[in-house]
Amino acid sequence: MFDDRVLILKFKYGSSDALRRIYEKYKKDLLRLATILLNDVSDAEDIVQDVFVSFAQSAETLKLSGNLKSYLLSCVANRARNKNRANQHRQAVALDEAEPVVSDTKRPDQWLICSEELKRWSEALARLPYEQREVVILHLRASMKFRLIAQSQGVSINTVKGRYRYGLEKLRSILDGEVKR
Amino acid sequence: MRSAENIKNVFKNLDLDIDINPKTDRKILGELLEAQQKSKEMQPAFALPNLRRTIMKSPLTKLTVAAVLAIACVTGLILWTGTGSGVALADVLARIEQASVYMYQMSITGQTKERPLSIDVQSTVLISHDHGMKMSMEFLDPNSGERMLQEQYMLPQKKRMIMIMPSQKKYTELEIDDTLVERTQKQNNDPRTMVKRILECDYKSLGMSTIDGIEVEGFQTTDPHYLGGILGDVDVKIWVDVKTQLPVRSEMNMQMDRMDIHAVIYDFQWDASVDAAEFEPFIPDDYTMFGGAPIKMAPFNEETAIQGLRLFSKLSGKFPEELSLTTLMPQFSKLKDSDDPSVKQLFEHDKDLTEEERVKKLMDIMIPIQGLGTFYMRLFQDKKDPAYYGKSVAPEDTDQVLMRWKVSDNEYRVIFGDLHTETVTAEVLAELEKPLLE
Repeated sequence: MFDDRVLILKFKYGSSDALRRIYEKYKKDLLRLATILLNDVSDAEDIVQDVFVSFAQSAETLKLSGNLKSYLLSCVANRARNKNRANQHRQAVALDEAEPVVSDTKRPDQWLICSEELKRWSEALARLPYEQREVVILHLRASMKFRLIAQSQGVSINTVKGRYRYGLEKLRSILDGEVKR
Repeated sequence: MRSAENIKNVFKNLDLDIDINPKTDRKILGELLEAQQKSKEMQPAFALPNLRRTIMKSPLTKLTVAAVLAIACVTGLILWTGTGSGVALADVLARIEQASVYMYQMSITGQTKERPLSIDVQSTVLISHDHGMKMSMEFLDPNSGERMLQEQYMLPQKKRMIMIMPSQKKYTELEIDDTLVERTQKQNNDPRTMVKRILECDYKSLGMSTIDGIEVEGFQTTDPHYLGGILGDVDVKIWVDVKTQLPVRSEMNMQMDRMDIHAVIYDFQWDASVDAAEFEPFIPDDYTMFGGAPIKMAPFNEETAIQGLRLFSKLSGKFPEELSLTTLMPQFSKLKDSDDPSVKQLFEHDKDLTEEERVKKLMDIMIPIQGLGTFYMRLFQDKKDPAYYGKSVAPEDTDQVLMRWKVSDNEYRVIFGDLHTETVTAEVLAELEKPLLE
């Protein structure tokens, strides 16, 4: 945490080394989140690139009230949401056409571990409405607090908690085979 | 059938080992460094203030602001000892003492009637009982748009205080004496100081509340003794986690000179892990030292006080009217308007001097004057019954009491107008002070 504050201060004063270190430190976390949100590694890489390029240009205006990791993860979530909206046609596909996160058709060279378990999870996640998927992922995988997610999504904290509850319940039902395809 | 809790735990710990394609990785890194470079080229001129403009153009204003800030930031250095009567807060203090390493964020803003936002400082502070203190500060002057970055280290083992200014590629090294080291080891500008002081003042409970989901109890003091009774009004609040009994947030509003200062300490991390290397200041080879050599801090004693009084009177022909640190430096700043040739020489640009020489010359004068103010403040804190009569006494008033403080039950040390000193009884002092009090 202290390191991050120092890195940010140095970055704000134009240190390319600080920017490089921030990138190296958080690129994997950001890529993981983007991938799991978007079900597409190529899109995820684009998002990560956009987030970091935008961050690199923000030295003058950047004001962090929380920690750096949460800030970057929020940026990824926001861009992934926009990307998702832009790709509405993908969301409109029938449930049985939904592609899992860990899909053999998606740049398999990117995936170091492709367990059956992981595939099952990604299939289940892909069947959640995007709003619910985003809350579940941000809360459980990115450890973001509901308050921050609510701020990021521009909705009330109760709405976020509701989405989380419904999302988790639906995920449980899917994984237990209670929701038929 | 799985429970929602089970789903939650499995998903949370799911191994999703994704790595970025090395080619893409290099591409992204290249693009973002390029974006940063382009962004830097587009930045307005004020974004990276140069040292010359910051220090040379109005050195005294800047240094005065720095002095005020220093008080706000290192209020821990002006702690006095005593016994507290509080119960819950005493437990809090005991808990804080157990934490050997901790960190927090600090925000200080200041405003005057003339300037709505005169000072804005954001800091991250790391404190280790073994190694000292490290503080990363960002100063922002919203009026001018100037920003200054500073890393500050207080290293008791090395008897050094080091301040690094990356944007100027400069650093300052202060030698601190054993007394200051000892005080620093006991009291950093940290929550211990705040709680100790509150315990010594009249304070009240603000009751229970919640901060970031944590149940807390608040305490407040508005007792002027919190700042030694000579720095004006103060309002201090601290909120303590009722479970851990450790501070969660504190706020302080105080008035110094004509400035309202608001300080907030938050985002505490107790028992943070620390590497000794954190306290090794990294000074790149191309950074140069302010003044060319370490600056020796004057000890806060009688000798320094006399030196400060002598320098001030030599420059202005009179003694400072007040010795409060917050008014002393502005009084010094006003000297620049003097017609005295020696004063003019000091403040006017001297082409024969390098920047380092000029800064050193200024520091040689400022340090004893600042030492004078600090010495006087400590006399108050140590309850030595000090008094100062700079408004009435001039350098030629050989037998007039200029300053005095208690040295034993019935004896006082006195500095006279001609700066000679004597120890006198309370009865003699009463006679000497009669004309000043009439």
